Amino acid sequence: MSAIARAARPPAWLLRVPPGVRLRRLVTHAALLAVGLLWVYPFLWALGSSLKSQAGFIDEGLSVIPRELDWLNYVNAWEGASFGTYFVNTVTITVSVVVLTLLLTSMAGYALARTSFPGKRVLLGVIVVTFFLPRGYTIVPVYDVVQHLGLLNTLWSVVLVQVASGMVFNTFLFMGYFTTVAKEVEEAARVDGAGFNQTFWYVMLPLARPMLATLGLFTFINSWNDFLTPLVFTLGQPQLRTLAVGLYAFISQTSTNWTALCAGSIISLAPIVLVFVVAQRHIVAAIAGAVKG
Amino acid sequence: MEHSRVPVGGTSAEAARGLRGQSPGTLRRRDSVWHRVRANRWSYAYIGPFLALVTIFTIYPIFASLGYTLYQWNGVGNPTQYVGLENFQRVVHDTIFWEAFGHTLVYTVVLVPIQLLLALALAMVLNDRSLRFSTFYRAVYFIPAVTSAAIIGVVFQLMLSNFGDAMGQLLIGLRLVRHQIDWLGDPQAVLWIVIAIGIWNTLGYNLVYFLAGLQTIPGELYEAARIDGAGAVGRFRHVTIPGLREVGVIILFLAILGSLQVFDLVQVLTGGGPYYASEVVNTYIYHQAFGAGGFAGGGGAAAQPNVGFASAASFFYGLLLLGITAAQALTWGWLRRRRSGQAR
Repeated sequence: MSAIARAARPPAWLLRVPPGVRLRRLVTHAALLAVGLLWVYPFLWALGSSLKSQAGFIDEGLSVIPRELDWLNYVNAWEGASFGTYFVNTVTITVSVVVLTLLLTSMAGYALARTSFPGKRVLLGVIVVTFFLPRGYTIVPVYDVVQHLGLLNTLWSVVLVQVASGMVFNTFLFMGYFTTVAKEVEEAARVDGAGFNQTFWYVMLPLARPMLATLGLFTFINSWNDFLTPLVFTLGQPQLRTLAVGLYAFISQTSTNWTALCAGSIISLAPIVLVFVVAQRHIVAAIAGAVKG
Repeated sequence: MEHSRVPVGGTSAEAARGLRGQSPGTLRRRDSVWHRVRANRWSYAYIGPFLALVTIFTIYPIFASLGYTLYQWNGVGNPTQYVGLENFQRVVHDTIFWEAFGHTLVYTVVLVPIQLLLALALAMVLNDRSLRFSTFYRAVYFIPAVTSAAIIGVVFQLMLSNFGDAMGQLLIGLRLVRHQIDWLGDPQAVLWIVIAIGIWNTLGYNLVYFLAGLQTIPGELYEAARIDGAGAVGRFRHVTIPGLREVGVIILFLAILGSLQVFDLVQVLTGGGPYYASEVVNTYIYHQAFGAGGFAGGGGAAAQPNVGFASAASFFYGLLLLGITAAQALTWGWLRRRRSGQAR
């Protein structure tokens, strides 16, 4: 009898919670879930609608779960609406931007943090001043520069402009990071016979792995989602569009193919959500660090 | 060979510095600078690409766009028609610019307090350590913040244009509104709908900021307040708010600046239309610079691109933003002084 009573008792962690608190917690979870569902509802609806048939899209309206699955929308979007091309363009641009940004800003940040070369103060001063200058509409002169470099109508134009836009901020972050590494680490490397290059590539850069991961993630997200830069530089070249621009162009072209539009949205959204879910802790910690620092 | 040369260069630079410290003759000094330049040649090589990109794509465009403000120029070829400060005069007297400025202010003044209050409330719920699945909820509420504006624009346009009537019926049924709404097509409603979507879109960032801020408040403070007999409201007023003051100022600052520079979301949702009803300053400048030539120009597109005028408008707005930022900094400084004065 007593054994049965003991077995029927709820687990210890539940017991410690008084019933009033337990009820309140249940209400909290219910509210968080309900509002959370509403919060991501537009995306769930787009996902559901991307699998509906054209007729089903109208009939089923705001429902999330399609009555019949129609995978053809993805084929239509990928091939018919060129989302395959846009996807390849976006991946090419984003990967190039991430690699180049990390490479160039970590190198510059290292040199700025660890050596005192003539002209360093002037350089830092000029950069800080430009940070606070009110800007005109700089995308037009940037367009002009790209034209003079002969890079118009290439994906490189978007890559270069995006890399350049992250330069100052990321370099400053790397500079701050390398300043905190103990001087002894570098001296030990030098004693072992490592030159400037070896010290950077084999000692300092591996030490900066957390910084590389954080800035790499942010550069990835920013580049993937960037709208204005690819919009301006692909205005006349539909084959160079990124997913964001392609999607925007598609909605102004098509007045009927809504399910393919939804499929296009999901093709654009899925990679970024995947990256976010995998690296959530890292991303959130980095964002939080921005205000705590 | 390579590795032995650089350290030697390094030591000679140190030697040169030492020499200079002892006898700062001009000739030797110039010599030592040259030595230091040579010794640091790899530093220059590492900074070279950074410097080139920043000079070409950041510093030069700032000055170039300042130059454009003096010309009447459609962006093709070189600017030749010099008009002096006329572009600035036209901006200052342009009613559509000020209308767009007004919309931007409304967007900011409405969005920022609502978004920050919601984010703070949510952060306080999620900050409870005994709450399970807290990271899951955080992820759910954060997802719109990592979504590209283009996707948001497409999904909302699709939903509102196809099922806006059904949603309007729902709202009428709930007695939240009296008449059917034309959503993004209604000049009276459009700005408010853009604001609502804006609140939803970037709330995640502020949620994470507030969570970070809340985590810096030691739990003992809440414990102490409870022992002193403070209720939930009292703990919020006397522990949470003072504990969030530092972070809160930064969050507010970022939120205001971000809202004043909104572009993507408005461009993809409405293009500034209908009839300029949702035109904000940055979409206005974009339409002036690129004209209606681009696809989906929206309601507020100028027929002819005028880069000179757009640059002047952008520069003028930059000055306004600088003024607003300075006013904010001064206000906070004044508040802080007053508070510390009261404390004494």
